Amino acid sequence: MNKIAIVGAGGFVGTTLIESLVLGGHTGVRAVVRSYRNMAGFCRWGNAVEVRLADATREAALADAIAGASAVVNVTTGPPAGIVQSTRAIYDACRRAGVPRFVHLSSAVVYGDVEQPIDDDAPPLDKHWMPYARAKAESERWLRAQTADDLEVVVLRPGIVWGVRSPHTLGFARAMARKSSFLVDGGSGVFNGVYIANLVAMIRAACEHAPGIAGFYNAGDAERVTWREFYEALGGPLGCDPGKLPVVSGDKFPWSLGAAIDAVQSLGPVNALYHKLKTHIPDGLKAAIRARLEGAYSFERQAVSYAATASVDRELWHLQRVRHKLPVNKFAERFQFVTPVSFPEATRRTIAWLETQGLAARRPIDTAEFSKASNA
Amino acid sequence: MSIRTIVVGCGAVAQRLYRKPLARLAKQRVLEVVGLVDPAADHAREMATSFAGARHFTSLEEACKQARPQLTLILTPPALHCAQTLTAFEHGSHVLCEKPMANSTAECQRMNEAAASAQRVLAIGMIRRFFPAFAKLRTLVQGGALGRLQSFEYREGHKFEWAVTTPAAFKPRSQGGAGVLFDIGTHALDFLQSVFGSMTAATYADDAAGGIEATVAMGLRAQDCQGEMHLSWDVPQVNELRVVGSSAEAVLRVDRFDQLAIGRPGAFVPQVIDESFPVDLHQDAARRIVPLSYPDAVLCQLVQVLRAIELGEKPAVDGQGGAACIALLEQALSVAAPLPEPWLASREQAAAARLHWSNR
Repeated sequence: MNKIAIVGAGGFVGTTLIESLVLGGHTGVRAVVRSYRNMAGFCRWGNAVEVRLADATREAALADAIAGASAVVNVTTGPPAGIVQSTRAIYDACRRAGVPRFVHLSSAVVYGDVEQPIDDDAPPLDKHWMPYARAKAESERWLRAQTADDLEVVVLRPGIVWGVRSPHTLGFARAMARKSSFLVDGGSGVFNGVYIANLVAMIRAACEHAPGIAGFYNAGDAERVTWREFYEALGGPLGCDPGKLPVVSGDKFPWSLGAAIDAVQSLGPVNALYHKLKTHIPDGLKAAIRARLEGAYSFERQAVSYAATASVDRELWHLQRVRHKLPVNKFAERFQFVTPVSFPEATRRTIAWLETQGLAARRPIDTAEFSKASNA
Repeated sequence: MSIRTIVVGCGAVAQRLYRKPLARLAKQRVLEVVGLVDPAADHAREMATSFAGARHFTSLEEACKQARPQLTLILTPPALHCAQTLTAFEHGSHVLCEKPMANSTAECQRMNEAAASAQRVLAIGMIRRFFPAFAKLRTLVQGGALGRLQSFEYREGHKFEWAVTTPAAFKPRSQGGAGVLFDIGTHALDFLQSVFGSMTAATYADDAAGGIEATVAMGLRAQDCQGEMHLSWDVPQVNELRVVGSSAEAVLRVDRFDQLAIGRPGAFVPQVIDESFPVDLHQDAARRIVPLSYPDAVLCQLVQVLRAIELGEKPAVDGQGGAACIALLEQALSVAAPLPEPWLASREQAAAARLHWSNR
């Protein structure tokens, strides 16, 4: 069976990709991580996962770590300043190691608020306020400029990756449980999301398909869903009625002190300095700062009353302003791909997971019943 | 006279948790670090920057012979705890052994027998006993502040952040690994038993499918109430202990030192956290602090062990307490089942169950 090397395997997408491969009986799974602590997310699989240590920005070490793979998947996370560097290093390492396919995860954020309908081959925006989006766009542009014919590059451009283990979903769920969410323009914007299992299925297809599929592809769910519909789907078990959430105008961003600090931090050099300093702050001090920023803790699992006004996060405000669903038919046609998990089923699975996190109202655990069912 | 102390295992736990409080006690001449035991010279060198007089040893036996410690701090992986504790007792040293006490009740028994035979203190490092909000909750529950106890729910989960230098901890248990159950679970179960008394595991489920568990769910029964414990290295949990009583409910944040509230949903009242611990060796414990950081909590733990040695006081968790925790873990593993993961496709759920260690 072909060997798939996953660079940045300890993150949320990497962990879920490994889970899918192992449970699907794939025997050639190699996790490439920067340090041993990143093994925690996939240590449950034991020897089914081969582990290699390598820094994603070091081409030579990476080439050793991915040697023998039929495809390399880049699901690294980290400071924006490292995104272009790691993309280049992984690309060069693939060529050095003779790996024939590089599956790179970009992001739909390179298209900003998608104010006009666009297709999969549209170039990224030249300017963006988010350092992360600028770095992802620059990586895409760099990959487009590469012409090597010994390495096939597949770029997947997922929207908001949501569902089980998704930090975004946890954030949405916590805000809904606290009843502190908000809806821009009543939630009429398009939720350009991709359920994690759908994204993982696309990554697997990109790794396993026969040659001749190089290109840039949007990655999203099949359905067109608005933010209001997304909140309504998850809100009930979280004790949140989206109809009672504050509505924010999408015409002009409502600046606040927090948003202003965020904006300053988004400036290129400031952002690079911020991430550099962060690595030198002792863990104890970081925890103390986090605790201070967190403010007073609500001991309620689900808040009793709704916030009268919203504290508006700039990224989420922009995400909710998206006007058009990114098309996903190019991937479907080229890979003969059918999205495996529908929106209602993805919602059901996500709520089941949120129940186990203590966020959603839940049913008691019945392991005996589960064992019986599994053994049957 | 300061107590001659050696540190066995100079990795992340020693450097990040113990170095600062040990240096403080050494400066006060309460103890003297005379030996650093670690096969990795760079780990010992790193610790030696804070303890100039300490000698480096690669063998505990040699350290005991040459440095003649009165107190041995065992900060090594759990698989080594039993043998190293026995060696320390053979040389007449008292022992503070980090949690988990050992990998089995059989090992715990040998450690306790050796402590009794040597007539030395065996204390187990359970730092959360020194978190003031935890201590306050215990006092309130045992004082009847919540009325008749009904249920509890313990949740703790976060991305694994320890800067481990080897993959040893992530190996299957049969190869010496220790997953989230032995990592966070020992803290949680020790504390829960200290609050609710001896418990049994009614159910236990984990996700180990060829490796070591990263997520577990347990149903627990105590004499007066029952509850659940959920732990994860994989995803963040809400990080709370909720205790429901007939007259009130308590919410303790398990990732903080000082966050506890009592009340009812919709009306929780944060509590003033003022539980203090001694930081001197005087009989009347004149100097006390409310520890609000890991170094301060470790300092209080170390002082309590020193008070056990000097004044005959009981450590927060002795060998019997440590063994009770391991016994509960063992009993839980005896009823293990695969963790339900209803978010997976049905064929994936079946595959995960087939791969689970309890079905092999």
